Amino acid sequence: MRLIALSLFVLAACANSATPTPTMAACPDPDPMSLTWDSFGMQFMTTYCTDCHASDLKHTQRNGAPLYHDYDTLMGVLETPEHVDEYAGSGLTVTNTEMPPSQCPTMPGGSLNRDCPQPTEEERKNLSIWLACEQNRPH
Amino acid sequence: MARRIGTAVVVGSLISLAPAAALAEHDHTFMMSDSRDPASSEISAGVSIEAAQFDNGTYIGSYQGVLPQISWMRGRFGASATIGLYHLEENGLAVNGIGDAMATAHVTVWSNAAIETGVAMHVMVPTGSELENLGMGHAMAMPSAWGVWRLHPVTLTASAGYNRALISLDGEHHDHGPMPLVDPMNLQEVAWNAGADVELGAHVHVGGHLLGGIPIGMGINRVVGGGRVAWGTSRVSTGAELQLGLAGDPFSIRGVVETALRF
Repeated sequence: MRLIALSLFVLAACANSATPTPTMAACPDPDPMSLTWDSFGMQFMTTYCTDCHASDLKHTQRNGAPLYHDYDTLMGVLETPEHVDEYAGSGLTVTNTEMPPSQCPTMPGGSLNRDCPQPTEEERKNLSIWLACEQNRPH
Repeated sequence: MARRIGTAVVVGSLISLAPAAALAEHDHTFMMSDSRDPASSEISAGVSIEAAQFDNGTYIGSYQGVLPQISWMRGRFGASATIGLYHLEENGLAVNGIGDAMATAHVTVWSNAAIETGVAMHVMVPTGSELENLGMGHAMAMPSAWGVWRLHPVTLTASAGYNRALISLDGEHHDHGPMPLVDPMNLQEVAWNAGADVELGAHVHVGGHLLGGIPIGMGINRVVGGGRVAWGTSRVSTGAELQLGLAGDPFSIRGVVETALRF
């Protein structure tokens, strides 16, 4: 019994704490329209995301990115804005750095053979604000 | 022998309630004989090896796992702990890591020569990486109740439980459906299991069972069917099971081979 109790203690100590978390970022009111797909989102996604999160990549080319989480278009981002925010966004209480990962492909769909570029803290904050704003805009 | 089968299936049912079918669907319990001295403790150690293919609409891939387990029993009471070590391939990415750990405590509440009933509590510790789809990312509590009816040479089992994530369920998180890939379940669900085993003689048993999870609130209904064969004595047991994901895409097909030794 003591062995099992010790095992449980060790397991509890090993609990994995990396958890994607909503940033709860809010769009300013009124929407200043300073962050848009054209001015921010497209460049951010192209730089950090679409090597794996693109609609033209089949599942074996996605390096683990879930299917239907494609960010090569605005409408694709708006299919799963919570996912983007929880993995790469930043807000007042949390900064999610699960994405981008440490290793990226040189070419979209390729093997992981280079260090991924990482967004700055400001870019992550702008990402979350843009997502909050974009979801309220007509499309 | 009938009682030995019964006790075996009891514990098998208990384990099957755990979401980790990995932890799960394992019957290294054919060794648990009624010859056990109620006043003395016994320890058993086992290991399971499993391989599965999955396609849940979001992820396509496969995994292989090794799951060591240690158990303790004394009279009507028992406890166990297990954790999986996995190689997972998901949408073209290969990762290695541990899954969520599971601890179980169970007690036989009432029994006679033919019927046995009890309750159990499973607690899952989030040791697996949620990001890599090896873990749920939060603890789970899973109380359950089980019953066994022995009709020699057949043993019937049934169990039901309530699985609950120990987090807020207000829906603020992006929903990926049941997670993780290596043993998916809903954030809140009713777990169930029903099965039958037949003694063929020479310490060999064959059986089948259905188990699943019915989501409470948001989630996906999950059903798994399995057929198994096992050989066990009072000291050692070995079993193999082939499982099919019948609903909810927990996996397409999975094979489990397991052996255990009682001390």
